Amino acid sequence: MPTQLQFDEKHRKAITQCSRCGFCRAVCPIFDLTKRPITNARGKMILLKEVMEGKLPLSEEVAKAFLRCTTCMNCTTNCPSGVDPQEMVKEMRKQMVGAGFDNLFKAMGETVEKYGNIYGETEHHDWGHKKGKAPIVLFLGCVGAYREEENIRETLELLDVLKVDYTLIDEVCCSGVLEDVGYQIKEDLVKRNIEALQKTGAQTLMATCPYCYRVFKDHPAYKELGMRIKHITQFLKEFDFSVQTDKRVTYHDPCDLGRHAGIYDEPREIIRKIAPNFVEPRRTRENAMCCGAGGGFRGAFAKESVKIARNRLNQIIEDTGAEVLLTECPSCVHNFRNAKRQKQQIEIYNLTEFLAKLYQEKKEVSSSKAVA
Amino acid sequence: MIKKIIDIVGRDNFTEQLEELVPYSYDASMNVHRPDAAVWPETTEQVQAIVQFANEYKIPVIPRGAGTSLSGGVVPIKGGIIIDLSKMNKILEISIENRYARVEAGVVCDDLNRQLAKHGFVFPPDPASSTVSTIGGNVATNAGGIKGAKYGTTRDYVLGLQVVLPTGELMRTGAYTMKSVSGYDLAKLFVGAEGTLGIITEVTLKINPLPRHAMTAVATYTKLEDAGKAIFQTMTSGVIPSVMEIMDKVTLRSIKENTDIPLPDAEAMILTETDGFTWEEVEAQMEVVLRILKNNHPIEIKTARDEKDRLNLWKTRKSAYATLARVSNSFVLDDVTVPISKIPDLLVGIQEISQRHGIVVATFGHAGDGNLHPQILFDEYDPDQVKRTHQVEEEIFRLAIALNGTLSGEHGIGLSKANYMSLEHDAVEMELMRRIKKTLDPNNIMNPGKRALD
Repeated sequence: MPTQLQFDEKHRKAITQCSRCGFCRAVCPIFDLTKRPITNARGKMILLKEVMEGKLPLSEEVAKAFLRCTTCMNCTTNCPSGVDPQEMVKEMRKQMVGAGFDNLFKAMGETVEKYGNIYGETEHHDWGHKKGKAPIVLFLGCVGAYREEENIRETLELLDVLKVDYTLIDEVCCSGVLEDVGYQIKEDLVKRNIEALQKTGAQTLMATCPYCYRVFKDHPAYKELGMRIKHITQFLKEFDFSVQTDKRVTYHDPCDLGRHAGIYDEPREIIRKIAPNFVEPRRTRENAMCCGAGGGFRGAFAKESVKIARNRLNQIIEDTGAEVLLTECPSCVHNFRNAKRQKQQIEIYNLTEFLAKLYQEKKEVSSSKAVA
Repeated sequence: MIKKIIDIVGRDNFTEQLEELVPYSYDASMNVHRPDAAVWPETTEQVQAIVQFANEYKIPVIPRGAGTSLSGGVVPIKGGIIIDLSKMNKILEISIENRYARVEAGVVCDDLNRQLAKHGFVFPPDPASSTVSTIGGNVATNAGGIKGAKYGTTRDYVLGLQVVLPTGELMRTGAYTMKSVSGYDLAKLFVGAEGTLGIITEVTLKINPLPRHAMTAVATYTKLEDAGKAIFQTMTSGVIPSVMEIMDKVTLRSIKENTDIPLPDAEAMILTETDGFTWEEVEAQMEVVLRILKNNHPIEIKTARDEKDRLNLWKTRKSAYATLARVSNSFVLDDVTVPISKIPDLLVGIQEISQRHGIVVATFGHAGDGNLHPQILFDEYDPDQVKRTHQVEEEIFRLAIALNGTLSGEHGIGLSKANYMSLEHDAVEMELMRRIKKTLDPNNIMNPGKRALD
C-alpha cells in the first residue's frame, strides 16, 4: 500500500492559506476547457487539505488529478491569498511517485536515459554547423531539434546572417521536465552536457527553449560552469536588424519564459525593431493564458492540450486581428501549429524563425532585382 | 438511477467519482459536505429533466455557479446532485436599443461586461469575485459590490428570469421593459433566494451606460467618529459618490505590517470616488466630497484622476482581503449591514467584541451603503479559537440587528447564518418564508437545509 503524503510546515501553511475564493477559475487553462473544479488550483488544494486531514485516501485518481496541470503558474500570479499552487503540484507529483503512484512519465525518464532525448529518436540531425570552439554555445533542446526542425534551421541561419560566432554540441536532453512530473533530472545526462560544454571554451551558454534555459539557470552543475546563461531573446535584443514587416504582429508569452523566468521585455524589444504594427493580446505578460503544452500536460493529455492551444489561439486572433503570431518557445509554437485550423490565416513562428524569414525575403527581393 | 441522469446530460457531463466530488463539498466558507453526484448541463431542457427526475425520487439538487459564496450557500449539506451551470455560458442577446442583455446563467460577470463595454454599456454590480462569478450566482445571492451606494445591487437590474421550478416546470417571468407591474414580481422572489426556490437558467438584465470619467480620493483619520461623520455627511450632501469605502485600524495595521504600502497610524481610512460623463460633473461632485472630508479633521487627503494614480490609491483597499488572508490560516468574512449613520457604532462595537474574546477582527467595506465586512481571523485547527470565533460572529450579528441592521448585505444566509435568521425575522415572517418554500418546493429538494427554511 502506498504511504501517505508528507506535509512539511511550508506545505501545511499553503494548504490552509488557500481561502477557496475560486479566483483561479479565471486563469486555469484546463479549467477553462473542462469546467471541472478538480482541474483548477482550488480543487487541487481542497484535495490536499482532505488528504492532509485524513478525510480522503491517497488514490490513483488523486495522483491523476495532480498530473492535470500545465504548471503555467497563472494561478500563482493571481492568487489573492499568496499560495503557489504550481509549486505544490510539482512537489506532490514527486511525493505521489514516491508513494508508489508512478505515472506515465516514468517511461519518458527511461527513454531520455536511453536515447538522450524525450522522443526516443535515434537519428540525430547534423545541422551543418560547426561543433567545436566558440565564444557562444547554442543549445537546441528536444522539442526544437526533433519536432520543430525547420524552426531550428531558421534560427541557425539567422545567427549566421548576424555573423554570430557560435557552436553546437552533441547535446542530450536537459531532462528538466522530469522534475516537474514527479521524477528527477538525470544527472548522467547533465554530466554529458557539462563535458561537451567544457570542450567548447565558450563564455556564454545560450538556449532557444525557455525550459532548458531555466534548467541551466537553476541546476548547480550548469551554474558551476561559470558561463553566462542567456535565453536567445536576451542575446538578440542587442542587435539592430535591417529587416521589417508591415504585417500586424502579436506576441504570446510562453509561461516558461514569462512567469517562470521573468523574461517579458526582451522579445518585445526585438519585435518593436522589426514590426511597427505590433499589438498586445488582451491577456498578456504576467496574465497570458497558457498554450496547454507545459508541465508534461501535452505528453499526458494530448487531446486536451491541443484544445487549450486552440482556445488560446482563437482568443489571440479575436483580440488582435493579427496576421502573425510570434512566441519564443518550441513547445508553444508546436502546440499552436497543431491547433491551427486550415481556415485560420494567422502565421505562427518563433521570433528567431520569423527574423530569419524576413532576412530570406529581403535576400530574394534583392537577388530578383539584381536579375532584373 | 445513474443511467437515467447520464441519459439526460451524457456521460461526459456526469460524475460520481469521489475525487471530483471533494471540491464540490466546499465554497469559500468553512462549511463542508459531500454531494452524491455532479452534472454539467448544457441546456435548460437538461436542467429541467434532471429536476423532474430528482423531484420524482426526492433527491436534493444544488444549483452552483462559480462556488465563490462565503456563506455555505452551495455546500450540499443534505447530499444530492450538484447542478453546475458553468457550461451554460452563452450571451444570448445584447439589445442596446432596449437597454438589456439576456444571458445564460453560467456567463461570467466580467465576460458580460467586456462585451457590453464595446457598446459603452455596463452591468454595474461588481462583486470582488467578478472575474469568476456567474450571473446566475450573482442573481441567486443578489450580489452587490463596491458601487452599491450609487448603482445598487443585482436586484435593481433583473428584468426577467427563466427558472426551472423544483417541481420541474419551466417558467419565464418578468419583462423586457424598464417598467412592469403586471402580476406579482416573481422574478425578484428568486433574486437572493440562494437557489432554494428553483434553478435560474437565463437572466435578462437592465444595463447602464458606462460612466466615462472617475476621480478618486483617500482620507485618513485619527478618530473613527470623524470618519463616520464624513461618510454620512457626504451621503446626505446631495452628491452620491460611486465609491465610499472604509477600512478600520486593524485592517490598516495589517496592510502596513505586511506590505510596502506607506500608511499613517490611523483609526480609519476612507476611499471615495465620483464618476460621470463629463469631467465637470466628476469634479463638481468631488469638490463637495473633499470639502466634507476636510471639515472632519483628516490626517491627510490624497486625490487622483489619471488611471495610474487612481490605481495607486486603490492599492490599500485592494490589498485588504489578500493581506488578511495571509496573516491567519482561516477566516470568516461577514457582510452585516446597518443604516449609514450607524457605521461608527458598528465599527466600535466590533472592536469591543473582538477584544473581549481575544479574536482578531479586521473590518473594511462599503460604508456608502452601510455594508461592512468584518473578517474574523482564527485557526480552524484550534477548537478553542473556533468556539470563540462563533461567539464573536454571533455577537456581531446581534449588534448589527440591534442597530436596525441586517445579517447579510450581499453574501446571503446559506448555512453560516441560518441559525440567526430569527434574530432578524419575526415568527410570522419566518413562517411565511417557509410556506413560500413549501408551496414552490413541496418535496424540499431544492438546495435544502439552507436559511432555516425546512
